[in-house]
Amino acid sequence: MQKDLEAEFLSDFEKNQNIAHKICRIYTTDKDAHNDLFQEIAIQLWKNYSKFRGEAKFSTWMYRVALNTAISLDRRSIRTMKTDDFSDVAYKISSDEYDDTEEKQLTALYQAIHQLNDIDKALIFLYLEDKPFSEIAETLGISNVNARVKMNRAKEKLKTILNPKTWIY
Amino acid sequence: MDLLDNYKKAWGNQVEIPCKFSALEIYKMAHAKSSSIVKWIFIIGILEFVLLNSLYFFMDMEEAYEEYKKMGLENFVFYSQIVVYAILFYFLAQFYLNYNQISTTDSTRQLMKKILKTRKTVRNYVFFNLSYLGLTMIVVTIASININIDQLNNKQILLVVFLMLIATIIILGLFWLFYQLLYGILLRKLNRNYKELAQLETEIS
Repeated sequence: MQKDLEAEFLSDFEKNQNIAHKICRIYTTDKDAHNDLFQEIAIQLWKNYSKFRGEAKFSTWMYRVALNTAISLDRRSIRTMKTDDFSDVAYKISSDEYDDTEEKQLTALYQAIHQLNDIDKALIFLYLEDKPFSEIAETLGISNVNARVKMNRAKEKLKTILNPKTWIY
Repeated sequence: MDLLDNYKKAWGNQVEIPCKFSALEIYKMAHAKSSSIVKWIFIIGILEFVLLNSLYFFMDMEEAYEEYKKMGLENFVFYSQIVVYAILFYFLAQFYLNYNQISTTDSTRQLMKKILKTRKTVRNYVFFNLSYLGLTMIVVTIASININIDQLNNKQILLVVFLMLIATIIILGLFWLFYQLLYGILLRKLNRNYKELAQLETEIS
């Protein structure tokens, strides 16, 4: 039984690991912290997997557990050296015609998101992942109306960071 | 088109992150030891219960009891100890129940609420212990003045009261400072995030 459950979990997680990677990328800036958070997400998912089994879509459930882990995990590491291992890794875009505009946009987007607070990060992430408001509200445990209000504010903050000159007009 | 729509499109088009983990790596990670704040709160909480109670073992209780007897406080000590232990078990049960309910599968707000509640249980227990310590010191001071009242003049009584007061304040102050530091650091981020979510709820409703 345990073996079956484990195999099922590994296959589910392996397929959806990109969700966890994106969350790690939003909440951390260096590779060690990224991997630490990824590991904690893996631990939390596995710990709760037997309870989850088939309740909802694995990916939907994973968004919640992974975001909760990122928001509640204490990421102040003992390492005082902050290495920005990812800054030189270009964010790759899949596109038929090669165009670096989107890659530049993606890099700028990640950098801007890094400046937001933990809750705004979660909101913006769920927006970018195209999640409906009902799911966003449920994940964060706030009402639908609040999710909308909060989302608008987070988006405004993000826009100001992405395009600081807009306030002049 | 909204400025963010372009960025959202770029986000949707990003390819899989290059540092993908294999099933074996994920297996190893999933079985690693958790370093979550919840676990630390649990460990530190248990340590607090154990440390506070082991203090009694290091003290020579028999000798202390003799002293209490001389002062006529044996009833106070006996009954208050019963109450203290009853309350200890109440707090321990609360602590364990709260801790057990914490789950990352809850909503974010719910999760943070439960973590902070677990933390508060231990904090209340320590506050309770500190108050008991303070109360004992006051009672002992009064009792020792009472039995020596014939030999003491007013000045000496004032001095004893003053010294006891200073000692109590210093001891309680040190504990309090230690607490502020330990949990201030440990829970700063969590508190901030919780306030962020909770503040919004009250703003609208």
